[in-house]
Amino acid sequence: MHKLSICTALFSLALCGILNAEESMSMNAADKAMYAEMLENNPAAMDIAEGEELFNAQIGQEAYAKMLGVSVKDLPKTIAGFPRLVKAAGKVVTLSQSLQMAAAQQGKAVPKLESKEMVKMSGYVKSLANDLKTNIDVKVNKQMEEMVVLGKHIFEERRGGRGLSCNSCHSPDIIGSRLRMQELPDLGAPTTASASTWHAYRMTQSAMVSFDKRMQQCMKNALLAELPLGSKEMVALEVYVTNKGKGNTIQIPGLKR
Amino acid sequence: MRKMIMLGIATFLGAADLSTAIEIPDATEILLKDALPAPKLYTMPAGCIVDDSAAIARGNYIFHNLNGKDAKENPPEGLTRLLPNGKEKQMGNCVACHQIEGSQGHGNIGPDLTNYKALYMDSGARTGQFLYQQIADPRLDNPNTHMTVNLANGLFSEREVCDLMSYIVSKK
Ligand code: HEC
Ligand code: HEC
Repeated sequence: MHKLSICTALFSLALCGILNAEESMSMNAADKAMYAEMLENNPAAMDIAEGEELFNAQIGQEAYAKMLGVSVKDLPKTIAGFPRLVKAAGKVVTLSQSLQMAAAQQGKAVPKLESKEMVKMSGYVKSLANDLKTNIDVKVNKQMEEMVVLGKHIFEERRGGRGLSCNSCHSPDIIGSRLRMQELPDLGAPTTASASTWHAYRMTQSAMVSFDKRMQQCMKNALLAELPLGSKEMVALEVYVTNKGKGNTIQIPGLKR
Repeated sequence: MRKMIMLGIATFLGAADLSTAIEIPDATEILLKDALPAPKLYTMPAGCIVDDSAAIARGNYIFHNLNGKDAKENPPEGLTRLLPNGKEKQMGNCVACHQIEGSQGHGNIGPDLTNYKALYMDSGARTGQFLYQQIADPRLDNPNTHMTVNLANGLFSEREVCDLMSYIVSKK
């Protein structure tokens, strides 16, 4: 159902045979076998299917498209451009926030951003754009222009217990080096394609994790205070990192270590 | 007519409710609290580098561990897994970026610190003061450094920075 090209996710590089022995040490033979197996049968497909049920029961494509001010036909390409300015919100919002609006409009209980329902539902809705390329446009209006500037600032600002920023580990001059045994990924490159492959099943957590949550996990690991999901700064960060990988093919759910 | 007005109000309220349905927590305070002080010069305290085995053991432990909770071995005398406030004590995890004698699973973001004393100190290329500043706050030497800040933000005490230095220059 959900296609996953063999070279999309970060560590499928190992399977593509272009990762040297030293770098692939962070995944042992058993892990690799499990990875290959999961590529065939991504456990997060279940979550996406549940998300579909939830979405259809709570909102539905027609109501959602209407709320966004687009036709149902244009829904996938609109989804491929999140975070984006949604008129009814008057600001740049994430896909999940737009689902909160749509649920409210339907008179349904509004799922929290942190809730399992929201992760599943937003995962499903994002998968409606599968095989399209991320088409975020950070120049299309003043609000997006502001958000990408703020996002860059958040990405580069050193803070927290170790004085690190996202850039300390994800800047172009450091990509490919090793932090402990972990190769530092290029977030925007087609081989990583972060923004278009999360929601992903994270093998180390045995769960489907959304893109914003994944960024929060890096904050936690590196002792940066976690920015709350939905905060202006977190949305801006998502705008900035998504724009790094603009044009990568959306493939939800991804599979990551 | 009246019905139409009512409908108008209803949709208006509906739209207002829509944007209020979005969760937008304020992160301003979080970011303020998390900010770093501006880089500044730190002076190495007298008697910083010592060949006391207890100090070297602490430096070794801080260098090779990420935090007190996950550490495999018990910390040496003078270090604890937890802080007095009950939070886990963060260690240096220097090995994530630096190779050094006996390091396992080290990264390669920072320079190899193997044989540091002979190569860098005895040759006169580096002073104790440089080493102290580099660990305390490396931003002074290089504003774009990828190295962690360790004293300026209160992660370590002065003594702990000196413990790390004693370890790095020790005979291993
Ligand atoms: C101390 C180093 C470090 C810092 C700081 C850091 N990261 Fe990471 N990040 C990593 C490593 C290492 C990985 C790969 C981990 C893995 O494969 O499990 C990673 C992976 C990621 C991924 C997933 C890549 C993918 O698609 O597989 C994203 C997204 C990400 N980081 C974003 C961020 C953001 C945003 C910040 C700042 C808030 C940040 N990182 C800060 C080290 C760091
Ligand atoms: C996230 C990566 C990272 C971590 C963690 C890290 N360093 Fe570094 N370190 C670097 C980099 C990169 C440099 C090179 C200097 C620069 O780029 O500014 C460096 C430089 C140094 C130097 C100077 C070497 C020289 O003589 O030029 C010393 C000493 C040092 N680090 C010690 C430590 C200690 C001790 C710790 C742990 C408390 C530590 N480092 C943690 C990345 C790191």
